[in-house]
Formats: sequence, structure tokens, C-alpha cells
Amino acid sequence: MSTLAVTDLVVRRGTSTALRGVSMAVAAGEVVAILGPNGAGKSTLIETIAGIHSPTAGSVSRTGRIAAALQPADLAARTSRANVELALTWWGTARRERRQRAERALAEMNASHLANRPALALSGGERRRVHLARAIAVRPDLLVLDEPFDGLDPLSRAALLDDTGSALRRNAGAVVVVVHDRAEALALADRIVVLIDGRVAASGPSREVLERPPSPAVARFLGFTGEMRVASGIVLTRPTHVVVDPAGEIDATVTRLIPTEDGARAELDVRDGRIAALVPLPGPAVGDRIRVRVTGGIRFPATGG
Amino acid sequence: MSFFWHGVQDAWQLIVSGDPYLRHVIWVTIKVAVVSTGVSLLVGLPIGLALGLGRFRGRGFGLVLANAGLMLPPVVVGLVLSLLMFPAAPLGRFQLLFTLHGVYLAQVVLALPIVVALTAAAVRALPEGLFTQARAFGASRWQQWALAVREARIGILTATIAAVGSALSEVGAVVLVGGNVQGYDQTLASAAIQQVDAGHYADGMAIAIVLLGLILVVTAALTLAQRRTGRPLQLRAPS
Repeated sequence: MSTLAVTDLVVRRGTSTALRGVSMAVAAGEVVAILGPNGAGKSTLIETIAGIHSPTAGSVSRTGRIAAALQPADLAARTSRANVELALTWWGTARRERRQRAERALAEMNASHLANRPALALSGGERRRVHLARAIAVRPDLLVLDEPFDGLDPLSRAALLDDTGSALRRNAGAVVVVVHDRAEALALADRIVVLIDGRVAASGPSREVLERPPSPAVARFLGFTGEMRVASGIVLTRPTHVVVDPAGEIDATVTRLIPTEDGARAELDVRDGRIAALVPLPGPAVGDRIRVRVTGGIRFPATGG
Repeated sequence: MSFFWHGVQDAWQLIVSGDPYLRHVIWVTIKVAVVSTGVSLLVGLPIGLALGLGRFRGRGFGLVLANAGLMLPPVVVGLVLSLLMFPAAPLGRFQLLFTLHGVYLAQVVLALPIVVALTAAAVRALPEGLFTQARAFGASRWQQWALAVREARIGILTATIAAVGSALSEVGAVVLVGGNVQGYDQTLASAAIQQVDAGHYADGMAIAIVLLGLILVVTAALTLAQRRTGRPLQLRAPS
């Protein structure tokens, strides 16, 4: 039985329609990541699931109690532990249990050392830890998280991501999490739902969706930014699918070099499109003609969007 | 300068001699400040919280009204209230004119907009996300209000200081509604006016000095409370 069932959900906010017939289900014990470009309706979906907005049409049915860690991660002007205890108070947890559960949740998020620190004196990463600690402290049947790692530096993000995955699975019946980054989705979730323009554009097991997106629009959003026209349609590629090889079958001209930590991303004009490849440094210069071969990518028929 | 010095000497004499007149005036002043501030907080806090937190039609008008109330001329309030308290007027049957209860009412009318406007402003300055998150954890309306009071406590204490200050120093409305009856509803500020009117400048100065001392003591106590409650708020760090 599903912990959450969203059926044909339509939500209007002001004059615009944020969600246009979204349907999805989340089973007990499942972690589902919601991905999508800015303005796709991710936060509206999360807030409607959390009961902050009412559906204009369609329905949201939940089994059990739901807790949400929304954006921004605003905390009250008291200690970190008192903030977690406050969430437990709102949740209706008995007074005698609050202290212990707050401390356990902070420990789960590797934030025990922050317990007595004033919440308003915490750094962004520390604040997120306390924010997530109060979400897992209440042990909901369904936990929804809105971009829990947004705005963090890469180091804090990686550390928090490591600690969050297991803590979520231990403390919540089911989880729906909005993330910005497909690597975060892969690290956290069993399933991915991609929202584009207020509609579900893809849904399925994380790796399957990330490696075999069902449409060109989803593929482009998921990093398949290279595009070549072929006889039967188009081939979309990621930079990792394109290898510089003097024996390669494709002629390409380097149009731009974008430095990365391990070399550079070379943007290449090919006869029937534009692709990108990762190249070591020193590599080709802008304007050089090189040969490449394509080792992966996805082919879509010409009629595909 | 000797005139001012006389005033200080007289003030000291009045205080150390335990003058019953002065004791009564101080007592009335404190009663007016406590009652009017208490009633204003009791009535004004929920209104300020509703205006600060609520999303309802007419909220903007309510905020304009409260802010306009901050600029109410006390003489106009006193005049309108005393006219309303005339025997044949709508408030006449309550027999408030030239009574201490009338003075309380006049001072509440002046202090209420202060409490409402400053509370609403303090609550509106709080991050909206705090309350959205509270609702997402199942906080009831009362729990959200309690959160707002605690988080906006510095602003609410500022409103309290302003309301007390208004009660201690108010003259116009108190004189018009209370009649400035010596030994009955006279406050320190209105007593100082009476002494000056009678040409007793040194006595007027003495009462004024006592009033200033009282304002200083009360304000210092409230400011101390404000600083103590506000300490955690000063520990903001960049995100």
C-alpha cells in the first residue's frame, strides 16, 4: 500500500499553473527524489504534499503522519537542541521524550556538538544539519525534504549527503526529497521523478532514469547536452560518451574549452550537430580539428521532442 | 542656574520627607502606567500578532490604522473622549469623566496603537519560513502565536517601553479627561503642569525631576530585560 498517492494534481498559484496533472505514488520504506529545472513545480509539489497548499484539482492521499523540512531552513532564536525539541512539541511528542529524541536526532545528523549552540550562530551547513535533525526527530510516516543541500559549498554538501541517506532510511517511513543534482538523487533515492513544466516527464528507478531518459527533453535536463542528427533521428550524448581518438570516425572542430578540475570540457562542432568531450590538458586548442568516436548516448527517433 | 538648583533641592526634600502629596501622585502615575500598559498589551498583542502573521482581507487597512494611531495627538484624544463622556453622550452612563477610570481609558486609547503597531512590525520582520516550517510540523495557531511572541520579544518589549513611557509622560488627554484633580487623579506630569500654572516653578521642577527619575528607573529595568531576552539574537552569523 502506498504511503503517498498523488493523482492528477493541478495547483494554480496566482495566475500561473505550477502543476498540471501530476500523478505519483510512494511506497513505505521508499526514497523518491524529485528532479527538475527551475520553475518546474518541484517546491509547489512538495508543499502541496506537505499540506501547505491546497490542490486546485486532483488529490493527495497520505497514510500516516507527514513532516516536512522546507526551504529556507529558518530556525528559532534558541539553541539547536531547543529547536529540535520545539519541532517535537509541535508534533505532539510527550515532554519526557523530547530531550532524548532531540539528542538522538542531532547525533544521527552528526550534529551533537551543535546541541547547545545558538541556532542563529550556525553556519549554513550546520543549520541544514539541525533542520534535518528536527525532521527526522519526529519519525514521520512520510518525510518530505525541499532541496536540503541547496546553497552549500561542495565539501559541506558531500559531508551532509553522506550522513543524510542512512539517517533518512532509519527514521522515516518513506521519503520524498527535492534535489538539484542528479548525483544527489542517485546517492539518496530508490526512484526518481523528473518534473518539467509542471508535468511528470520521467519516473522510474534512479539509475534507469539517469542512464536511459525516456525523452530528449528529460535527457537534456539530465546532462545529455551533446546532439547529433543521424539518419533515423538524433543521438544525445554526455561528455563522457565522447572520446578523442585519432582513429575515430567523426571529424570535429574545437569551438570552446572550459577548464574543469581534471582537464577541460571541449565543445565540438561536428557535421550534424554539436557535442562535448572531456580532454586532458594540455589538449587541443580552440579551432583545432580533431577526430572523435562516440561510445554511448541515447538515440531518439526524429519525431521525439 | 540657582532656580534649577532650588528645584533639585526641593525635589530631594519632597522625596526624603515622604511627602504624602508626592507619594500619592507617584502612586497614581504608576497605577495609570501599569493599568494602561497592561490593558494595551492584553488587547493589543493579539491584534498586533494577527496583523503581523495573518493573511486576511483588511489587514493592510488595519496596519495603516495602527500606524496612524502612533501619531494621535493626545489633546485630540482627550477632547474627543471627554465629549463622549459627557452625561448625555454615548459613554456618559459609565460616569468616567473626571475619574481615574476615565484617565485609564484615555491612556489605553493612546497606548494601544503603540503596542499594536510595534508588535505587528516586529512580527512581520520575522522570517516567513519559520512559520511555514512550524505549520509543516503540525503547530497549532496558538503554538505559532507563542513562537511569534518569543521570536519577536525584543520588539514587543520595545512596544512595552514605549507604552509605559507614553503613560508616564502624558498630560493632554489625562488633564482633559481626568480634570487634573489634586489628590485624586493627578499624575506627575499633570501635577508639574499645575504647579507651573500656579507660578510654583521650583515645585514644578521638583516634580519634573521625580518624574524623570521614575522614567529612568522604569526604562532601565525594561531595557535590561530587553537586553537579557535579546542576547541570543545578537549572535547572527553569515549562512
